[in-house]
Amino acid sequence: MAKTTTLPTGHGQVQVYFTTNAPDIELPEEKRQLRVPTDVRRYGLSQILNSESMLDTSAPIPFDFLINGTFLRTTIDEYLVANGLSSETTLNLQYVRSLIPPLYEASFEHDDWVSSVDILSASSRAGKWAGQKVSPGQERILSASYDGLLRVWNKSGQTIATSASSSAGGHTSSIKSAKFISGTQIASSSLDRTVRLWKYTESEDGFSGELKPTLELYGHKGSIDSIDVHGPSNHIVTASADGSIGHWTSSKSSAPAAPSALLGPTSKRRKLTTSTSTPQRGPLSMISCHTAPATAAIFNPLDLTVAYSAAQDHTIRTIDLTTSTVVDTRTTSHPLLCLEALTGISTQLVAAGTSARHITLVDPRISVSSTQVMTLRGHTNKIVSLSSDPESNFGLVSGSHDGTCRVWDLRSSRQGTKDEGGGLVGEAVYVVERDGQKGATKRPVGGEGIKVFGVAWDKDVGIVSAGEDKMVQVNTGRGVTKSESS
Amino acid sequence: MAPTTLDRKRKAVTRDVPESSDAESEAEFGGAILEGILSQSEDSEEDSGTEEDSENEEDVNLDGPEALDSDEIPSDMDEEDVVGWNGASNKTNGSKDVAKKIIGEHQPLDEDEDKPNYTVVKDANGGERYVYEEINPVYDSDDSDAVAPTNTIGNIPLSFYDSYPHIGYDINGKKIMRPAKGEALDALLDSIDIPKGWTGLTDPATGKPLNLSQDELEILRRIQTNEAPEDGYDPYPATVEYFTGIEEIMPLSSAPEPKRRFLPSKHEAKRVMKIVRAIREGRILPYRPPEDKEEEEEHHYDIWQDEQPRPDHVMNIPAPKMAPPGYDMSYNPPPEYLPTKAEKQAWESADPEDREKEYLPTAYGSLRKVPGYEKFINERFERSLDLYLAPRVRKNRLNIDPASLLPKLPRPEELKPFPTVCSTLFRGHEGRVRSLEIDPSGVWLASGGDDGTVRVWELLTGRQIWSAKISHDEAVNVVKWRPGKDAVILSAAAGEDIYLLVPPVVDPETDIVSRDLLDQGFGYATNSTQALTANGARKEPVAKWTRPGSRLEDEGVLLKITVRTTVKVISWHRRGDFFSTVSPTAQRSAVAIHTLSKHLTQIPFRRLPGIPQTVQFHPSRPLFFVATQRTIRSYDLQKQELVKIIQPGARWISSFDIHPGGDNLIVGSYDRRLLWHDLDLSTRPYKTLRFHHKAIRAVKYHKGGFPLFADASDDGSLQIFHGKVVSDLMENATIVPVKVLKGHKVKSALGVMDIDWHPREPWCVSAGADGTCRLWM
Repeated sequence: MAKTTTLPTGHGQVQVYFTTNAPDIELPEEKRQLRVPTDVRRYGLSQILNSESMLDTSAPIPFDFLINGTFLRTTIDEYLVANGLSSETTLNLQYVRSLIPPLYEASFEHDDWVSSVDILSASSRAGKWAGQKVSPGQERILSASYDGLLRVWNKSGQTIATSASSSAGGHTSSIKSAKFISGTQIASSSLDRTVRLWKYTESEDGFSGELKPTLELYGHKGSIDSIDVHGPSNHIVTASADGSIGHWTSSKSSAPAAPSALLGPTSKRRKLTTSTSTPQRGPLSMISCHTAPATAAIFNPLDLTVAYSAAQDHTIRTIDLTTSTVVDTRTTSHPLLCLEALTGISTQLVAAGTSARHITLVDPRISVSSTQVMTLRGHTNKIVSLSSDPESNFGLVSGSHDGTCRVWDLRSSRQGTKDEGGGLVGEAVYVVERDGQKGATKRPVGGEGIKVFGVAWDKDVGIVSAGEDKMVQVNTGRGVTKSESS
Repeated sequence: MAPTTLDRKRKAVTRDVPESSDAESEAEFGGAILEGILSQSEDSEEDSGTEEDSENEEDVNLDGPEALDSDEIPSDMDEEDVVGWNGASNKTNGSKDVAKKIIGEHQPLDEDEDKPNYTVVKDANGGERYVYEEINPVYDSDDSDAVAPTNTIGNIPLSFYDSYPHIGYDINGKKIMRPAKGEALDALLDSIDIPKGWTGLTDPATGKPLNLSQDELEILRRIQTNEAPEDGYDPYPATVEYFTGIEEIMPLSSAPEPKRRFLPSKHEAKRVMKIVRAIREGRILPYRPPEDKEEEEEHHYDIWQDEQPRPDHVMNIPAPKMAPPGYDMSYNPPPEYLPTKAEKQAWESADPEDREKEYLPTAYGSLRKVPGYEKFINERFERSLDLYLAPRVRKNRLNIDPASLLPKLPRPEELKPFPTVCSTLFRGHEGRVRSLEIDPSGVWLASGGDDGTVRVWELLTGRQIWSAKISHDEAVNVVKWRPGKDAVILSAAAGEDIYLLVPPVVDPETDIVSRDLLDQGFGYATNSTQALTANGARKEPVAKWTRPGSRLEDEGVLLKITVRTTVKVISWHRRGDFFSTVSPTAQRSAVAIHTLSKHLTQIPFRRLPGIPQTVQFHPSRPLFFVATQRTIRSYDLQKQELVKIIQPGARWISSFDIHPGGDNLIVGSYDRRLLWHDLDLSTRPYKTLRFHHKAIRAVKYHKGGFPLFADASDDGSLQIFHGKVVSDLMENATIVPVKVLKGHKVKSALGVMDIDWHPREPWCVSAGADGTCRLWM
């Protein structure tokens, strides 16, 4: 063991101490300390760890190594030189399962801008709620488009189902957000101020399906920009540009009646064209808590009675859904455009993308006094979509109007400069460009034509992003799924 | 023959005598002749041999000095030499005197008994021999050294006398005895006590030690000191003036002063000019350039500046402490510290500045006898005078650093947030975008352009939500949202038509409210037109309020107001019931105020002093601002009177905006100036900003709480300014340019056409002549 690793080399050797947070790949105590040559890189260290004498893994697990909160991207020697460390110091190497650079896999073309994506797979939220197992290869990708249509795709890029048009009970305007509630139910929110529930049925062969509107939910006075669902309890929260947060139920029977003032189509002509009659319902509660357009609302994944909402009025509010009251307000310094709950390193965190081109990580607990935990910087335009890593507590992917998705690791951080306002600052681990933009040296001004509107990260499918280029782009981190099997 | 020779010989011997007696008397001469006759006879009789002898003797005697002095003395000078020797004197004067004496002495003898000055004795041969008396020098004779017997041995070597005790003979034939030679002791003494001029040599002529005389020593000294050896040489003779500087009263030349003496010399002028030119060109520096002397001021290092108390150590010199108060400061000092009466008097008589101590040690028997502080009143009084601003010290004029007079502007980084980058592009218009505005809720952006369309965009994504083509041939000059969130109404002007629209982006409730707002005035409109027609004499109404037609009505365009000429500006009153339009080309009805609730159009100004450019309602007071080309006038709408005329000094005002506070105004002009007016301060601009190199098209304040304003220019750039207005009237507004936003392309000399701010956030939007709108955040 030690003999193999302490082979004499031209370079010096350095004492390292391997630590990890993952219990399943933890080294026995006596093997943790090791002398390694200083000219090895991440790959060499990963090999050392995977060797028989160390972890003895059946299939090699790619590892990344964190030294003092930064990923090792050079040789140890270069790291030592750059940080002015002596080779006699003992380096604390925290090894984590490597994030494989997301590779471009496919693009699904749409007729119009794609605003939102969601994934149904065995490991996805909806797949777990669905109960029935989604067999591998039968993953579904839901895309919401600005043309007012929902589309369900399989992994090979075929449209399995398309929602009904406005005349057939579909959305009368652009869909802003859509989510799988279960394998058979989909909720979508739209610029037409409605939330619609759809029944999704698939043929036996799995190559065709149908999306039928089952319920129309009225209550918002503005464009509904964000929707979050909870399958088992059939609850839905929405955030609207009118500054209110809607709390709905997807069950037709328990939902209250729709407010009549908001119900009717604005012109008689349109009313005539609506042929099908879909049941219309109202919200369980409408919480007008924001003074500016609300941009995101999510359920607390640990506690269904709590929702978080973000708005352009710079606040993240914690809403108790049972009483429909705002419990807590966290004020940041910038308009917030999206929200995502993270399991976090030690405590649950809420990540919010801002118009000021960074992601703010906020501890939402009421007892905590400091609002901002960390800032993730790197995007060059508004951040409008966030999705957490399904496999790790520390991963995050963000979609921005600058045309990129960025993958972040919360463990990698540094102290922010004074210009950045101090605090912990994280930087992106990987940048996922739009496929159409590959090779272009300069991004267009204002992200014109390449804006990313929605992003979702699934264990089985990968990183799925939707954007102004009318594409749903699938990127996968190769090997990420493999590590799970080990 | 013989007597003559004798006579001659005698004469020769005492030659002085006859010479000196020449003038005395012939009698004496006669006597001499007589005597001479006598003697002649004697001489001739006596011997010729002795004569020979004597002659020989003389010769011998002569030899010595000759050999000593100089060999070159010719022999025919015998006589002279004889005289020297015979007279036994070097000095003629002395010999003269002696001769006189002799004569004087002898004369009485001659007269009395005729006794000669010699005695005749018999010599060895029996012949007679004249023995002369020894000359006895009298007291006053200075010839004291003449007494030395002179050796007269003749010209024979001195060595002949070696075996004799004498060394020669004197004139009387007496032996001159050899001088006693010094014993060894004497020689030693001589060598120790070296006399002046001692040479250690022996004079061969005298056998005495040869010493140098004073004169000879003086010569040697001169030679040694490099002086001329000869005595009496004057190295610095007095100047002999050949030319005199003294102006003569009668000059040698009577020619008048030449004219050239009074004319400035051309040659000199030329030389001077050459130098002046050289100085100007820098070839010559008139004075030495000041050396870059590093100011080597004495550095005094305070070695104790961060003194820490340390334990005693030899290497540690602690900082000197202030002397503790001494005995003399005590209220009861020991008597030796007390001043004496004189000291006390001196202290009291001295000026307070000159006193060594400020106090006088005074003894008090006990502490309770110590009186109060005597200068208390005095110091209080001084202090009061200070407070009274009556300084008794002449203050020097302050040296003011010019840099300190510059306003201290904060750095732009400190003034964040303000828009910095283009974050969304709105592309879709064909041709220029002429106007744009963000709706009061901050979600939608409305724009209108040359293609005759009004478009509504989603602000953050840049998605076009709605579009209506309201005119086919005319450009949409202006789009404006109706203020207030209760209804969503968009106004747009294309050509002579003003359209009021309800874009289908709102919820049904608001939609209905908005439509009702637009429709409620129809009844009034008919009423007013009826009233007008009833008057009969009236002209047709200034504006027609109509439905635009079903095609446009389906698109959401609900109302059309047609005025007489092209409308360029729409400005809403904050309540949303009035709006004003400007048609610059109209003569009389250039400015119109429309009442939405009554569908009524009024012309407030019968005559305007210029071509109106733009109008605006005051954000809080019932004031109405009208900008003509050169001035901005504010009118009170209630009292219907002119309140103020603001003169920005611009040649052609393009736009202006009123600060939400209502007391400040920015004016943009086509002559590239941006002017800030403080309405309370003056009618002239408080500050003029001239940063664009093309005309300024639009200016706008941020109305949502950020101290920002921006201008848009034809050079394709926007400039963002920080303009903070404080409520304190004493303080002026701080205006700091913070950012230049570039991105719009200049098309046919037009850059940015319009600008607007987000109602809440520090975001701004701009409409470009390149057909795009941009959101900057």
